Amino acid sequence: MRILIVEDEPDLLRSIAQAMREEGYAVDTAPDGEDGFYKAENYDYDAIILDVMLPKMDGWEILKRLRKIKKTPVLMLTARDQSRDRVKGLDTGADDYVVKPFDLSELFARLRALIRRSANKTTNVIEIGDVNIDTALRTVLLAENPVELTAREYALVEFLALHRGEVVTRTQLYEHLFDENESSLSNLLDVHVSNVRKKLGAEFIVTRRGHGYCIE
Amino acid sequence: MKIFRSIRWRLQIWYGLILVIVLAGFGITAYQLERGRLFGRIDDELHRRVGILANALRRPPPRGPNAGEPAFDHPPPGQFPDDGPPGQNSRPPLEFHLPAQDAHFFDASDPNGFYFIINGRDGNQIACSTNVPGLLDVFARFSENQSSPPIDGRANSGTNQPNPPTVRTLVNFREFVQTLPSGEQILVGCSITLELKELHLAALKLMGVGGIILLVGLVGGWWLVSRAIRPISSISATAVKISAGDLSQRINIAEAESELGQLAAVLNSTFARLEAAFAQQQQFTSDAAHELRTPVSVMLTQAQTVLNRERTAPEYRETVEACQRAAQRMRKLIESLLALARLDAGQEPMKRLDFDLSKTTGDCVELIRPLADERGVKILCDLPPLECVGDSERLAQVITNLLTNAIQYNKPGGEVRIAAQSQDGMAVLAVSDNGAGIPAEDLPRVFERFYRADKSRSTGGNGLGLAISKAVVEAHGGTIEVTSGENAGTIFTVRLPLA
Repeated sequence: MRILIVEDEPDLLRSIAQAMREEGYAVDTAPDGEDGFYKAENYDYDAIILDVMLPKMDGWEILKRLRKIKKTPVLMLTARDQSRDRVKGLDTGADDYVVKPFDLSELFARLRALIRRSANKTTNVIEIGDVNIDTALRTVLLAENPVELTAREYALVEFLALHRGEVVTRTQLYEHLFDENESSLSNLLDVHVSNVRKKLGAEFIVTRRGHGYCIE
Repeated sequence: MKIFRSIRWRLQIWYGLILVIVLAGFGITAYQLERGRLFGRIDDELHRRVGILANALRRPPPRGPNAGEPAFDHPPPGQFPDDGPPGQNSRPPLEFHLPAQDAHFFDASDPNGFYFIINGRDGNQIACSTNVPGLLDVFARFSENQSSPPIDGRANSGTNQPNPPTVRTLVNFREFVQTLPSGEQILVGCSITLELKELHLAALKLMGVGGIILLVGLVGGWWLVSRAIRPISSISATAVKISAGDLSQRINIAEAESELGQLAAVLNSTFARLEAAFAQQQQFTSDAAHELRTPVSVMLTQAQTVLNRERTAPEYRETVEACQRAAQRMRKLIESLLALARLDAGQEPMKRLDFDLSKTTGDCVELIRPLADERGVKILCDLPPLECVGDSERLAQVITNLLTNAIQYNKPGGEVRIAAQSQDGMAVLAVSDNGAGIPAEDLPRVFERFYRADKSRSTGGNGLGLAISKAVVEAHGGTIEVTSGENAGTIFTVRLPLA
């Protein structure tokens, strides 16, 4: 899962990004509105965390422009908790709203819910054969036995599971699993896929030659 | 009682009372006039008849009374013993003879007709009509006159003037008693049953009409009072809503010219000011909370992230430093808020000491110079000595604040000019920069609390600096103004009283 965080307070931006990365998300950051909008426009993020008050271009403006071209889930982050602000945010196209100061755990939960909703899933649990994926706890069970996955491997499984039945291209996987700072080596993805197959069974991820990967 | 506290009821009661008094006055007057009119008519009739009867009394002619008068029984004069005073005995008793043409004045067949009694000066009855009502003793009819005897000295003392007649009303009879100069008494009376009935009817009519007028008046009064106090109800209804917390309510003023309309207008403007003050207060609280939210968020996320797992020492250090920065920001905000609160409450009176404004300003410039150097901004001073009176420490904060703004919102390599001079009995300190200037739409609001032309927090500060500066300068009896042009720089001008 690749996330964009647009926030002008550097300490806040840094700590949210760090916490998200530790949760296994690929995280891009933007310190102002213009940069934020540029990135949101050019990459397909799984979700965007957007502060309202930003230099150069404020959150409302980014949201307004983004909604004309994309449906990326957006979670607004604001210090204003008046209901008219919330109404404005939701009406402009925000998918959720978190008021500062917030608990990181709440922010994560809301983000997961956003991603889940955008993948048309209603629960945190995805079952594929005897593999059971809990996106809230970030655990994978194989025949009810826990399977140890690295954060990146888990992200790969989750992304494919959320797009179950679709062929996901390598480019898509790179875009959603690695952030802008990682010089992704082309075989890194193959390593992750092969590790997941070792842990969850060779048939779990199907390779479509020339297209990409798929969970059926 | 609640009813007496209600203005409506009190007005209504007073109104009703006045109406009753006026109506009673009119009614009683009308009744008296009617009574006077009726009785006057009767009295005229009675008076006329007394005259007729007096004419009918004559000295007896040598022969007996006229036999052609059977309607009235009067004893033959000779029948009564002459027991009058000896002085009068020399005069023969008068005889009564009613001429035929006057007989219709005393129609005995009419129960409501006129009756008469004539007594001689000795008290003996000379003549009496047949229809004298029997319910009263004949002599009682004269009882009132017995206190003034039929013949008194004055009446008889040669003036020959008839005594004034006595009029009286006995139950439903009106009687006229006249004592002739010769001593005879003539009583003429008639039943006034009809007149009393008429009077009674008139009284009933008057009461009826009065009652209707009173009713109409009370209803009309109620309507008037209701109309008059309707604005009061509207005012109180609005006030109730406002006291319940809805400050946006206003009294609907239909008649702005009336006294209540003016009151409502005054109240409305008060409500508007209240609402504005309230909104301002709310905005201030919300802004203060907003300013606190970001540093709190930083501290929370920093702490929560770092606590998620074991960290290395540099990581902990970085987190603690970030938390410190956030805490410092909160400290500054809290100090500013406190300063404003104290200035608002007037708790901290400004010292009033003489000081040299230019020297204070120079000190501030030296303090701020490192920041200017860092930004590559030049500070140019023109500071001749200027003796001012006030609190130099607080004013130094103002000057530092203005200088910091001038440097921070300047461009690299820009200039900040600071000049002091004496003008119109005031010390004038101008701080100007050649930065980007403040947009015209933001200019009137720069002294507002938490107002920032730059909507993001990219330049730091909490948006209270100019608000505090303004409060401090105004507490000194001075003024602070700003002029700015797009890309023409900004000038802040502070005026302070000279020593």
